[in-house]
Amino acid sequence: MEGILRFLSYSGFANVTAGHVIMILVGLVFIYLAIRYEYEPLLLVPIGFGILIGNTPFLEHAGLQLGIYEDGSVLNYLYQGVLKGIYPPLIFLGIGAMTDFSTLISNPKLILLGAAAQLGIFTTYLGALLLGFSNPESASIGIIGGADGPTAIFLSSRLAPHLIGSIAIAAYSYMALVPIIQPPIMRLLTTEDERKIKMKPPRSVTKQEKVLFPIFGLLLTGFLAPGSLPLLGMLFFGNLLKESLVTKRLADTAKNAMIDIVTIILGLTVGASTQATTFLTGQSMLIFVLGALSFMASTAGGVLFAKVMNVFLSEENRINPLIGAAGVSAVPDSARVAQMEGLKADPSNHLLMHAMAPNVAGVIGSAVAAGIMMSFLM
Amino acid sequence: MNLFLWINLDPGAISTDHLMLAVIGYSVVFLALLLLYLFFRQLPKLLAFNLRRKLRKEGEPEKAAMAGSAIPGEVNAAIATAIYLYLSELHDHETAVLTITKAAKTYSPWNSKIYNVTHFRRF
Repeated sequence: MEGILRFLSYSGFANVTAGHVIMILVGLVFIYLAIRYEYEPLLLVPIGFGILIGNTPFLEHAGLQLGIYEDGSVLNYLYQGVLKGIYPPLIFLGIGAMTDFSTLISNPKLILLGAAAQLGIFTTYLGALLLGFSNPESASIGIIGGADGPTAIFLSSRLAPHLIGSIAIAAYSYMALVPIIQPPIMRLLTTEDERKIKMKPPRSVTKQEKVLFPIFGLLLTGFLAPGSLPLLGMLFFGNLLKESLVTKRLADTAKNAMIDIVTIILGLTVGASTQATTFLTGQSMLIFVLGALSFMASTAGGVLFAKVMNVFLSEENRINPLIGAAGVSAVPDSARVAQMEGLKADPSNHLLMHAMAPNVAGVIGSAVAAGIMMSFLM
Repeated sequence: MNLFLWINLDPGAISTDHLMLAVIGYSVVFLALLLLYLFFRQLPKLLAFNLRRKLRKEGEPEKAAMAGSAIPGEVNAAIATAIYLYLSELHDHETAVLTITKAAKTYSPWNSKIYNVTHFRRF
């Protein structure tokens, strides 16, 4: 009898709390959104399942080495890649090998939209300070506005490791909710006529330009913000593997097998790190609110800056301000949202190609912002 | 349970240093991407530098002035279509000798009586 009671005391039923149940429900919602609506399924399925793994109750502090925060557990070993900032640069390598920067090279003025759309990072940094978060914590929360999961994880692993779970979940949630969050802001800040602006088709880009982009891209941004080197170094390296055309095998591995493996482990461990006992706090809820505000401010920053640029551009070179919203990385969802909104205003106006330019510039911009924050605060 | 009861806005928490970090940070992001913009705006001209010099030497200043300027996407599409149509009109070398070869058809299951005799179905 004693054995049975002991067994029961170790089971999940004996150790379940309201927090566990809430987090399990959150995990199920993530999985539902990913499978039913295909919202970022490659991220939400591993994260959602990770939440289920991390919140399956067990007898903590019994030395079972099960939880992600227990030294020696398998999950803890895998989580080291998050804590030490190993996975995000590897993800960036894969992204670099996947990304075609042609639209950005063909119309380089759109790069500036990627800078403008980082507004939310810095306004939210101030907002988080106002709410009583410490300096490094505020910077880590602000980076959610960059709408770039790996960058958010990387910066918070350096500055506020105890907030990684909340920040990563907020960043990925808002990235998945781009089609819901961005359109109202885009419509609010633009007129019907602006949404109908047709942009000049992009020019063709030579192979030389494509090969030179990652090399000079790295040198120009790396010299200015060396803190962003782990991310941008890998991003541009991956892109060189792709564009050089002589390292096809390496590029294929980086953009397929490797990024898939890292995404699986990263998603699962970040999900598992949301253990109810450490995750379900008022602080986490505040991070979610601030993250949403950051995302909105970034979207507004991109759209408004496109409007400002139009004041100085000739009639034929005008920019459709909708593509400014794509400056918040979230590749390629925010570009797709710009395309959909453009089509609603004028069914013959296809903005996707144009929107990809600020979209990939946003990846560079958010990584530079993270590098600057690190340089100042570490 | 109200999770936000403890929220306390503290304007004094933002010092000049924090404001400076935000302003400088945002400016540096702009500056980094501005550098990229300026460099890649000039890149086609830099890459066409040798070609322009060569054309000038050959006494074709008008072509030299055009070298390195962007070719619009529509023009590229038109050129590609023209090449495609031209190549699809091309034929291999033909001998111009017409031949009529008799089709060798030894039997057909429909008209060969012997086929029906020798290949009957067994039940």
